[in-house]
Amino acid sequence: MQAYKEVVVKTPLPLRILPYLSVAVFLLIWELAVRTGMIPSVLLAPPSQVFSLFIDKLTQPNPDGAVLAVHAWTSLQEALIGYGLSLLVGIPLGLAMGWFRVVEGLARPIFELIRPIPPIAWIPLTVFWFGIGLAGKVFIIWIAGIVPCVINSYVGVRMTQPTLIQMARTYGANDWQIFCGLCVPSALPMVFGALQIALAYCWTNLVGAELLAANTGLGYLITMGGRLARPDIVVLGMVSVGVSGAVLGFIIDCIEKRLLAGIRR
Amino acid sequence: MPEQQAKICVHKLTKRFGELTVLDEISFEIRAGELVAIVGPTGCGKTTFLNTLSKLMPATAGQILIDGEEADPKKHNISYVFQEPTCLPWRTVRDNVAYGMEVKRVPYRERMERTDKIMELVGLSSCAGLYPNQVSASMIQRIAVSRAFAVEPDLLLMDEPYGQLDVKLRYYLEDELMHLWEKLQSTVLFVTHNIEEAVYVAQRILVLSAKPTKVKAEIPVNLPRPRSFLDPAFMEIRREVTELIRWW
Repeated sequence: MQAYKEVVVKTPLPLRILPYLSVAVFLLIWELAVRTGMIPSVLLAPPSQVFSLFIDKLTQPNPDGAVLAVHAWTSLQEALIGYGLSLLVGIPLGLAMGWFRVVEGLARPIFELIRPIPPIAWIPLTVFWFGIGLAGKVFIIWIAGIVPCVINSYVGVRMTQPTLIQMARTYGANDWQIFCGLCVPSALPMVFGALQIALAYCWTNLVGAELLAANTGLGYLITMGGRLARPDIVVLGMVSVGVSGAVLGFIIDCIEKRLLAGIRR
Repeated sequence: MPEQQAKICVHKLTKRFGELTVLDEISFEIRAGELVAIVGPTGCGKTTFLNTLSKLMPATAGQILIDGEEADPKKHNISYVFQEPTCLPWRTVRDNVAYGMEVKRVPYRERMERTDKIMELVGLSSCAGLYPNQVSASMIQRIAVSRAFAVEPDLLLMDEPYGQLDVKLRYYLEDELMHLWEKLQSTVLFVTHNIEEAVYVAQRILVLSAKPTKVKAEIPVNLPRPRSFLDPAFMEIRREVTELIRWW
């Protein structure tokens, strides 16, 4: 039975070119501002220079020691491991905190204390614990990503419609049956929301994590650019973080839509 | 119906919230397979009454016995059809109907058989694979009613299940309820504020008083079915019940 019909709405042409136009104008103003000397070129590199550096860095490891792909791969690895771990721990913890009073009582105070601490504040301790390898960076990213996972899952379970729970109770459902059969499915839209937010948290804290002694990574590229007084390297690093973050976000968004479509029509 | 032993026995059921007595020593009995309606003035604690009966809320005093045993949702089959929609949006219509039996761990094969049978009875078969947000409001309530009947309840509680539907649909669903009840012989306690509805469906009407709530009167409805709203005997009972709960 086909209950819904696909409706195609055409976006008018001006609305479709608008995003490209705004990016183009932004780049143009930026380029002109540096070229005309309004902003000294030691403070900011024009986009054309960043672009030619980008082409260069695809093959050239100098002056920061690695080609762009290596930097991006390192960052991606750290971010995705940290992200994965924060989902793995945060979502079950949040879900359990939402339903089981004991878990909430145990975990909530600690969580509330840790939550306001900015993830980069963990850097010194992280160095003591893990040294300066991959593990330390993953830890910081994990700390950053776990917060939205816990909060969203917790709120999602809490928002379960009370009549549904009463209904299940009258059928004699036990706590576990209600948790798995009612609370978790009805929390799922909120949990999926967390996927996106946690990714953003993880990715933005990447640069912070790479302040830990690193020798590759996009955050490292930015730090190196600063140290070498090369604004073009700094900007290239920033743009790479921005673009790859947006691409990751887009991928997660697609996955989320797919999964949600299967669960809730 | 021949005289039978009481299936449900409520004895001096009392519920207090602090100083406020909501239910004041309510006692009554329901025979197996009987359909009893409960009417009362607005705010007389009907919902508290049902929540206490269904064991969602602990009673302050008194007993609820099913087949002579203390009622327990884990042991007895108690079903509750709520006023609000209670379908699970992530389950299909069929899986919603089967939900109660699933909680009760009815074996898969039997569960599916009973689900199919009951969906056939209420005309849900054609939308078995749809999700609740793809069907109409009346369908949603039918799903809840089917789910409630499907567990073969010892006691089926209904809290104004058709209160939010328009008159035409309500008549239609009341007939459907009669049909189900006659087929499945469940013991039903039907709470409503609609006197006409009560007289139409019930074998017996319990009239509640205002708070603190007691059973004010018990009115048997011995009218043949199908009943007619225009039958003088029907109107007489309706008048009688209205007199009992009028507060104006």
